[in-house]
Amino acid sequence: MTQGGLEKFVAYLRQNGWPIFGPVFSAEKTEEVSPFLAAHQPKSAHKDGQIYIKEIQKAEDLDLSGQLPFYSFKRFFVPEQECLFQYEKEKLDQPEKEQKAALLGMSILDLKAVNLYDQVFEKDPYYQLRRRNLLIIGYSLTPEIQGNLFEIEYEENILEHLPFDIFLVKTDKAFKVFTGSIKGQRVLEDFGYKDYQHIQYSGPVKEGKLEERMERLRDRLKNHPNPQIWEELGKICIECGKCTLACPTCFCFRIDDKPALKEGAGKRTREWDSCFYQEFSEVAGGHKFLKTTAARILFWYYHKFARIPDEFDFMGCVGCKRCAKVCPVGINIEEVLKKIENS
Amino acid sequence: MNNPYESQSARISFISRQTDNIKLFRFELGKKIKYQPGQFVELSLPGFGEAPFAPCGDAKENYIELCVRNAGKLTAKLHEMKVGDKVGLRGPFGNGVWPLNKYDFKKQKNLFIAVGGLGFVPLRTLILGKDDLLGSGTKVQIFYGAKSPDDMLFRHEYDRWKKQNIQLELTVDKECVGWKGCTGLVTTLFDKHEVVQNSVAFICGPPVMYRPILEKLQKLGFADEDIYLSLERRMHCGIGVCQHCAVGPYYTCKDGPVFSWAQLKTIPEAI
Ligand SMILES: Cc1cc2nc3c(=O)[nH]c(=O)nc-3n(C[C@H](O)[C@H](O)[C@H](O)COP(=O)(O)OP(=O)(O)OC[C@H]3O[C@@H](n4cnc5c(N)ncnc54)[C@H](O)[C@@H]3O)c2cc1C
Ligand code: SF4
Ligand code: SF4
Ligand code: FES
Repeated sequence: MTQGGLEKFVAYLRQNGWPIFGPVFSAEKTEEVSPFLAAHQPKSAHKDGQIYIKEIQKAEDLDLSGQLPFYSFKRFFVPEQECLFQYEKEKLDQPEKEQKAALLGMSILDLKAVNLYDQVFEKDPYYQLRRRNLLIIGYSLTPEIQGNLFEIEYEENILEHLPFDIFLVKTDKAFKVFTGSIKGQRVLEDFGYKDYQHIQYSGPVKEGKLEERMERLRDRLKNHPNPQIWEELGKICIECGKCTLACPTCFCFRIDDKPALKEGAGKRTREWDSCFYQEFSEVAGGHKFLKTTAARILFWYYHKFARIPDEFDFMGCVGCKRCAKVCPVGINIEEVLKKIENS
Repeated sequence: MNNPYESQSARISFISRQTDNIKLFRFELGKKIKYQPGQFVELSLPGFGEAPFAPCGDAKENYIELCVRNAGKLTAKLHEMKVGDKVGLRGPFGNGVWPLNKYDFKKQKNLFIAVGGLGFVPLRTLILGKDDLLGSGTKVQIFYGAKSPDDMLFRHEYDRWKKQNIQLELTVDKECVGWKGCTGLVTTLFDKHEVVQNSVAFICGPPVMYRPILEKLQKLGFADEDIYLSLERRMHCGIGVCQHCAVGPYYTCKDGPVFSWAQLKTIPEAI
């Protein structure tokens, strides 16, 4: 597909009721989004701005330089807040229907996070409904993927382990097109594009052997705990929870009832929570089970590198380094992982 | 698709006051919730939230009984409610029911139970179903500690239980008028009474009592696999997703809330 073809495809999708969201360069200065980021990590590929996920009108609006958007696509899959049901006295109502959206330009790392959501929310009707209304269009340069912790590269056989409807690979001047679902095929055919190759999704994990790095980290955390790492980090972490907001794989949530103005009415919501917050483990009477900052930061790492591997055979970290970029005190996951491995 | 957050409507059909801040509620349900002792349900009151409670009634009955302490937002509202009022219930949740299938109670194992305060709640289901779940030959010995005689749960039922091969030993935290029994924490009962031979141990109660009781049991030669404890954690989803109740590699809501000490002993901050 040529750039011109992509332009037409974008117009086609919009005409057919798909608002399109993708990475867009924005001149908003880093200082405005994150003074800390500006102070701690002044080197950025785009000196005077950042890439955000925004609604686009034309393919031209997209930034396809391969740089990861500052925030991830998480909120399209697991929104900041959603309504489980509305109540009025004893009457309960289901929330409104989900809107359609096309996500154009999701990187391989962000697609790996979708593998996690798909597993975690497999039996969740709210997630499933939302997921059905999303059209996922992945995108990669070849072979490099910028800013990536686990040295993941684009290679064609990675695609069968990623969840997407359509995938565009940047070649010299054009895009090579793959489909990963019947939905993706249908959309392309209806648009009138046939020059694609279909990839059969074969699950999130490569058949046969588990990732060595994952095994090593899990083993260290479970069988050779090193409390010193956490005590040291506990002294500097200020429990702001920014890393959990920025991380595409942090999906912890809380459930609350939010009253409306009308007597006896309101809604039960599910919204992002953070294991760094004091209330996270607090029970009636005030007792907290995660007592110290050290315990909380260990909880965060343990979830990603021990519990998630136990549950799904892959890591709960896609290596995007967004957590390090937003951390006001400069905690860098890359260094922490090295410390865990050496313990 | 089934919605795991949807509860069924349940009607309060009976309320009895147990102590000055604990009430027992009986709920009639449209569809029976089949549960095992040690599992829990989520009770929902729109506007006041949701919280986990361990059923304490006879599991054979169609209704569910919960014994609830007035501890916060939701429980305070529940305490104001009257017979005929409605709540939402969903469940049962939890896998780690007391491991009744692992042991042949009919032939050999006896049961030792150490409970404090509200920890007695889920064990009542076990006592009420004793003949079916354990067999009438099984000896059950219970060490129960409460703040004061007036804080003792289910106290009008003790005489009946004693006739069923159940030995119940009580203690209260401090001496008080009219109480002739033992005073001190549950652990003091270990010095006064011999623990039944050849038994499995179940512990349930406030977290502070776990370590001292574990020490006593280990001294008596209990294997880590034969000691079971019920963990308390904050819960939101009840189905192993939200992460609030995670303990090391486990979810209290899904893999517990009952765990063997062998599972927990290497996890820091488990108890
Ligand atoms: C497996 C299990 C079984 C339980 N069984 C019983 C029982 O039989 N009887 C009884 O009186 N209590 C029981 N509890 C404790 C009971 O859940 C809390 O007392 C209750 O959540 C307090 O809710 P609240 O809204 O009144 O308090 P608030 O302090 O207003 O709590 C707000 C919210 O925090 C969460 N929360 C607070 N405390 C707890 C807690 N201890 N456990 C889990 N979530 C909590 C809940 O989501 C709650 O809705 C049990 C807890 C667990 C984990
Ligand atoms: S690198 Fe950080 S932000 Fe990215 S997935 Fe891993 S933990 Fe989350
Ligand atoms: S962003 Fe940094 S300081 Fe804030 S909670 Fe995360 S690790 Fe702690
Ligand atoms: S209560 Fe949500 S994971 Fe256990």
